[in-house]
Amino acid sequence: MKVRRFYDIFRLRLRSLLGKTAVESELDRELRFHFDQLVQENIARGMPPTEARHAAMRMIGGLAQIQEECRDMRRTNQLETIWNDLKYAVRILSRTPGFTAVIVLTLALSIGANSAIFSVIEGVLLRPLPFAHPERIVRIFLTSDTYPKFPLNPNDFRDFRSRNRTFDSLAAITRQDVQLSGAGEPVMLRAFEVTAGYFRVLGFTPARGREFTTTDELPEHGRLAILSDRFWHARFAADRNIVGRSITLNAVPFTVVGVMPPGVQHPGNDYHAVPDGDTVDVWYPFTFEGSPNNRGSHFMDGIGRLKPGVTPEQGNADLSGVLNQLGNEHPGDKGWHIYLVPLFREMVGRTQRMLFVLLGAVGLLLLIACVNAANLLLARSSVRQREIAVRSALGASRTRIVRQLLTESLLIALAGAALGTLLALGGVRALVFLLPPGFPRAAEIHLNLVVFGFTLLIALLTGLLFGLVPALAAARTDIQQSLREGGRASTGSQRQVRVRDVLVVGETGLACVLLIAAGLMLHSFVNLLRADPGFRPQQVLTASISLPRQQYHDGPQRSRFYAQLIDSVASLPGVRSAGMGTDLPWTGYDENTGFDVEGRSAAANDNNSARYHAASPDYFHALGVTLLHGRFFTASDDAKATKVLIVNEAMARRYWPGADAVGKRITFEDHPKEKDWVRVVGVLGDVKDQADSAAGHPAFWWPLAQAPFPDVSVAIRAQGDPVLLTDQLRTAVKRLDPGLAVADVRLMKQIADASVATQRFSLFLVGLFAALALVLATIGMYGVISYSVSQRMHEFGMRMALGAKPGDLMRLILGQGVKRALAGAAIGLLCAAALARLLGNLLYGVSGADPVTFFAVAVLAIATAAIACYLPARRAAGADPMHSLRTE
Amino acid sequence: MSKRSDLIQGTLDLLILNTISLAPQHGWAIAKRIQQVSNEVLQVSQGALYPALHRLEQQGWIRAEWRVTEAGRDAKFYSMTKAGRTQLQKELAQWERLSNAVGQVIRMLPEAAS
Repeated sequence: MKVRRFYDIFRLRLRSLLGKTAVESELDRELRFHFDQLVQENIARGMPPTEARHAAMRMIGGLAQIQEECRDMRRTNQLETIWNDLKYAVRILSRTPGFTAVIVLTLALSIGANSAIFSVIEGVLLRPLPFAHPERIVRIFLTSDTYPKFPLNPNDFRDFRSRNRTFDSLAAITRQDVQLSGAGEPVMLRAFEVTAGYFRVLGFTPARGREFTTTDELPEHGRLAILSDRFWHARFAADRNIVGRSITLNAVPFTVVGVMPPGVQHPGNDYHAVPDGDTVDVWYPFTFEGSPNNRGSHFMDGIGRLKPGVTPEQGNADLSGVLNQLGNEHPGDKGWHIYLVPLFREMVGRTQRMLFVLLGAVGLLLLIACVNAANLLLARSSVRQREIAVRSALGASRTRIVRQLLTESLLIALAGAALGTLLALGGVRALVFLLPPGFPRAAEIHLNLVVFGFTLLIALLTGLLFGLVPALAAARTDIQQSLREGGRASTGSQRQVRVRDVLVVGETGLACVLLIAAGLMLHSFVNLLRADPGFRPQQVLTASISLPRQQYHDGPQRSRFYAQLIDSVASLPGVRSAGMGTDLPWTGYDENTGFDVEGRSAAANDNNSARYHAASPDYFHALGVTLLHGRFFTASDDAKATKVLIVNEAMARRYWPGADAVGKRITFEDHPKEKDWVRVVGVLGDVKDQADSAAGHPAFWWPLAQAPFPDVSVAIRAQGDPVLLTDQLRTAVKRLDPGLAVADVRLMKQIADASVATQRFSLFLVGLFAALALVLATIGMYGVISYSVSQRMHEFGMRMALGAKPGDLMRLILGQGVKRALAGAAIGLLCAAALARLLGNLLYGVSGADPVTFFAVAVLAIATAAIACYLPARRAAGADPMHSLRTE
Repeated sequence: MSKRSDLIQGTLDLLILNTISLAPQHGWAIAKRIQQVSNEVLQVSQGALYPALHRLEQQGWIRAEWRVTEAGRDAKFYSMTKAGRTQLQKELAQWERLSNAVGQVIRMLPEAAS
């Protein structure tokens, strides 16, 4: 009933507004009927017709007044006022199309930028994660004094799973890509070994078949696979009978037991990270093998679903209790603590700062656009003073005038929002394209109703914000004075001039804040690019190869393959050097081991740890890593030769401080025999983990021939364009083993670029916004100065007549602009100094109060102010004084 | 929203609602009926009646439609909506309360004076 009533009311209001003529004529007919009845009644009483009519007219009183009151009751008038205001606003605004276009465009740019950035925030931070009850999912890590965030040991995990009391389900995963062979080219698949219950943790159930059970975790049971929907479509043409079929992974038959539904998202992982989203092809069961007492190797990403009502802190305490028990049972578990992170924070937490910095930047831009619009409207309202004076002289109340002017500004803002939304449509697509690789939830970013709502809201807010000051100022106009000034362009009141000065100073200040943010980021970026990465990424082609264990089960076999491949690639024309190693710089590789340094006490050796790698002799040449002491590996450092290794400077400095590490020995055995000692033969310059890492991590390399890992990366330094070698590399691999896939073919330059992508991305956007801000501030400055010049032409003419030179006038006007710019810059620099620490880790090698940036921005602000003043100044200086004096 | 009426504010609404609660009526008939039933005591002027009708319609208590009168003329007939019926009950109850209260005060006064 209520709904019905509101529908009725809405329909009637709409009718009052749109069907005005119909409503009016109905009112007419209704009252006429009444009048006729009255006349008839009078006639029935015996009056002659004419008199009856007159009497009726007298009785009915002011017909027009009744009609007007009925209209009031219908709210027609109120609606009509709004309608008229709108029509009037459109007419006024279209009378000055250039002016309107400038405001609408600047607003559209900044509102569009806000919508675009907000849609990223909405998709990444505001929307719930694509899992059932995501707030109950947590990631589980270990932490210790040396390793803040460390993966789990599988046997520990099994104990966590059986002994915890706070989790609905607990799972662990580890990335282990597999090679699919059979029909067509062999391909590397993104694959994860997962424990039973993994999909239950995430809240997914297979669309076909079943999930893994704990039985599948037993050795010899685990040759099973679950396919992702995407991969099932792409490779098996959505074969409905796939469950139960056998596929060949790593040259071994696996039985497909399930297919996941579309939309299954990977929650992201740390160990051999894969971006989140629909990025995994195949899952297969993790197999618990070997001694359950092995607690030393850590390589599993833990994830769990808390029982309803359990907080992450309670889960943390629960697992910590289990870990304490384990510490008593297994010495290897001592020294570790549980580190539970809510999945949301783990997945998107690291983007928060950058996104909020961008939102802040774009918000500032909007504020500047607002101030700019207010400034332009104010300038125009002084031109419109006469019109407004006439209207108020004719009886328009102040509220009425403010309402009219606000309608105009809201209309401008809404037009800006509409155009801005169009810009945002393209902008969001560009943003997603530019996002740093591996940005979480990138696929979920698009414009939607929430974003449209946000856009509408900020449009209304900006409309009010930039409209209110000019509207109030205009309504305060002194009618008498304005009218008396007649046809002459009225001088804006002193107060208006002051308001406009404040606005332009504020605008410059805000623009300076943005410019400084951009400047600091630019300076950081330059530092990043200048920082020596420790290797030379130019002209290097990289790829990865994985030798199936079943085919290449022993070390010599793998070594032979590697040697052959390197030989054939190195002999290709255009190849300067070719090498292989366990990994490439800046790819997140992080495998560590303990060891004993010869000559140190057992206690001193207890906490030794370094990152281990293996590399072929030319690997370092190919990547351009520098040798500080000793030698690189040679072909003679093979399985039969004495064991050697190369360490990096960080490791040399930590374990042999003040001494030459070359010739020193370490061992990986608890009770080493003479042959178990490994000799350091060379010291390398450090390669940092990431472009912005503070220092290198201690690391060493075994010769690949002495430690032939099955998964390797290839690095080839080319003479010319490295891309041209791609096909030749593939051919070389195919000739040796047609069943092998060459995966991740990338240029080292791309990897290096990707590692500064976040900084580049935020620099690009903040720089763009700062540039826009500068343009807006310049427009504002130009508007103010040019207006003040046109107001003072008379004065300037007088000055010229009294002997002032054009140069004096130029200086006078430029001085005006520069004075305002200086005030704005001073305010801006102060604000920026206070805000700079918010940029946090987006800065590298630059303090928040970087003098270079601050100085440059101040100069830039003053220079643009001077440019903005130049045209008006020249106009003033070039004017004929007689003419100026006469026109006044 | 000024209203020229000798009736207490809101009373006219009550009278109109009550009058059309029996059968749909046009404005003229409503005014006549109120006049007749009240023995010519209550005179509803057109200047008050039509704005009130339009207001009640705008508020969704009554609905208007064009019909032909017995005399064969087009007239705008007002009828009750469901929401209007509830509103009428509310206003009646309120009126009862008010008139009772006024009545009590008036009856009490002479005693107090004596």
